[in-house]
Amino acid sequence: MTRLTRRALLGTIGAAAAASTLPATPIFAADRSIRHYWWGNPERDKRTFAVIDTFQKKNAGIAVSGETIGWGDYWTKMATQTAGRNMADLVQMDYRFLFEYVHRGALKPLDEFVGKSLMIADFDKGPLDGGKVDGKLYALNIGSNSQVMVHNTRAFKEAGIDADLINWTWDDFGKVCEKITAKSGGKMKGSDDLSLMIETFESWVRQNGREFYGPEGKVTATAEDVASWWQMWADLRKAGVVRDKNKTVILDPPIAESGIAVGDTAMSHYWSNQMVGIQAVAKDKIGAAMVPHKAGGKPGQFIKPSMFLSLSRDAKDTEAAIAYMNAWVNDPEISGILGLERGIPCSPKVRAALTPKLTEVEKLSVDYFTAIQSKVGPLPLPAPKGAGEVRDAFMRIGTDVVLGKAEVAEAAGMFIEDAQTIVERAQ
Amino acid sequence: MKRFFARNAPAYVFLLPWLIGFFLLALGPILASLYLSFTRYDMVSAPRWIGWGNYEYMFTRDRRFWKALEVTFTYVALAVPARLIMALGVAMLLDKGLRTIGLYRAIFYLPSLLGASIAIAILWRQLFAADGVVNQVLAMVGIQGASWITDPDTSLYTLVVLAMWQFGSPMLIFLAGLRGIPRDLYEAAEIDGTPRWRQFTRITLPLLAPVIFFNLVLQTIDSFKTFSSAFIISNGTGAPADSLLFYTVYLFNEAFKFFRMGYASALAWFLLVIIATFTAIAFFTSKYWVHYENERD
Repeated sequence: MTRLTRRALLGTIGAAAAASTLPATPIFAADRSIRHYWWGNPERDKRTFAVIDTFQKKNAGIAVSGETIGWGDYWTKMATQTAGRNMADLVQMDYRFLFEYVHRGALKPLDEFVGKSLMIADFDKGPLDGGKVDGKLYALNIGSNSQVMVHNTRAFKEAGIDADLINWTWDDFGKVCEKITAKSGGKMKGSDDLSLMIETFESWVRQNGREFYGPEGKVTATAEDVASWWQMWADLRKAGVVRDKNKTVILDPPIAESGIAVGDTAMSHYWSNQMVGIQAVAKDKIGAAMVPHKAGGKPGQFIKPSMFLSLSRDAKDTEAAIAYMNAWVNDPEISGILGLERGIPCSPKVRAALTPKLTEVEKLSVDYFTAIQSKVGPLPLPAPKGAGEVRDAFMRIGTDVVLGKAEVAEAAGMFIEDAQTIVERAQ
Repeated sequence: MKRFFARNAPAYVFLLPWLIGFFLLALGPILASLYLSFTRYDMVSAPRWIGWGNYEYMFTRDRRFWKALEVTFTYVALAVPARLIMALGVAMLLDKGLRTIGLYRAIFYLPSLLGASIAIAILWRQLFAADGVVNQVLAMVGIQGASWITDPDTSLYTLVVLAMWQFGSPMLIFLAGLRGIPRDLYEAAEIDGTPRWRQFTRITLPLLAPVIFFNLVLQTIDSFKTFSSAFIISNGTGAPADSLLFYTVYLFNEAFKFFRMGYASALAWFLLVIIATFTAIAFFTSKYWVHYENERD
């Protein structure tokens, strides 16, 4: 999974040679190297390695080695490296995990660099503040995103769907699923079965007027929230308009195996910055819809920092690492390569420079982003420690429901109980 | 004492590489994990002593711990006999003095070498997927196969089948054992007109008992420690619905996913207790069913 760039490799060999012949000479000292670790997909990896090449060309003497892995294994590897005191200098961070890592003391604050080597004065305040913990900046926003129902535009057109996909409700959603399934004779189902997607469920809880996690990290979602969610999908499953249950219980499948990519389903839930990656593997043109609303409910969706760059506790050459970080968010050539693949950048200058060069799918995500601005709720409070485990429990208990081995209400009660225990135990 | 060394010194010399490795690399971490099992340790901040807290939680409050035990014991109970029977069966087939025996031995041993690998686990997942090869073959004879891997009712059995398929190393040991049984016993039985089945139960099994015992202990220990295949097939989580939550997978998740090194250490020590208990039971009962042909003093 690790790809050493040619330059880094030559640099290492050179350093080794220098070290063997001239130990402790300035040549060796000047050869600096940093590691950058991120979760990716083929498209993201391609762009990131291009960024690394560009950065190295402009900063002779700093070698960057990139390490990439899929989301599914990312946090396991990161935990192992954290334990082994061998974290990459720069790690890609997620809003959900940020607080966990900060509280474990695995990240270094960035405040001392701001205004000196990290120029972010003109960035959007809101998205930037998403990276703060206890008043200190621990994570630099490298893109914002929001939930999105990605859909297959061809299937929607063929089924003659004319719903307003920004303002639609869950009832509309059910009808759309029926139409698409009927039109394709059952070959393409209306949607993925989102029973196990805690990310979509979170919107559902907010539509009911609650947060999943309240102040102090308490679980404030209720068993009724969970039961009504699982019941809705059980009904859709029974109607035969969502994806096969045996596919649903395969957890966190890679994008290439998603219903949208394979052509099994016409809709699924993603984060808006993933659209670039999905379009790269999907046959048909994709479109963007909001997560359906609850009639008379509160806004469920929100705009969140999609990814951060964080400086790890194990970083030795912080100066080089910050230089790299700064180039990521300010260098026009680099932000041109990155485009919107990681989300909408929070530098107005970068956004302005990007606009004329956007691809079709990037334009789609910008337009979507603009359209939802007034329809979203506030950013939820940061998830407490243990949130990752709660996510696992949701999928685990939900699997029994999807397979019809557990009764909805009982399983919902069990999940809330488990979630509370997990969060308590993690503190 | 002197005699002891004179007799055993060569053995210790041969053991030396292993002993050095054990004392330098294994003993330290083992002792550290015993200490950690009494602490709360998230791998980043320093461990905090909590006495029996981890063990108490394990036995009184942790539902997944019991689930992990259930899965692991079911697996051991099914996989060990299945593999041993398979191994003995194949060994007896090969014990016919075939000319190409060497080739067959190698071929049948192959799955054991490959079986624990990641590649085979991934292959297994493909074979038993809803639209996998197994179901396609079943469909040809008109049977609608289940979704073996994603159905919690059947997922464990796919792993038992995988375990059965890795019969190679006990088979080789059985084969050696079978070769050691004197032919004249069978000839005598043949002359007496003893049917084949009775020859098997009265000659083969009793004389093979020490080998069976050896394989049983080894395979039981091995099966309790099953990890990589379960980890890969269950996507690292024990899914679907914890039906593949092997003890080791649970332990790994607690340690490396949820940062509970202390708790995971406690789990590891309890696994040691389980394995030790089973091995002790096997050794204790062995004197009633294992007879050695040429026992010395």
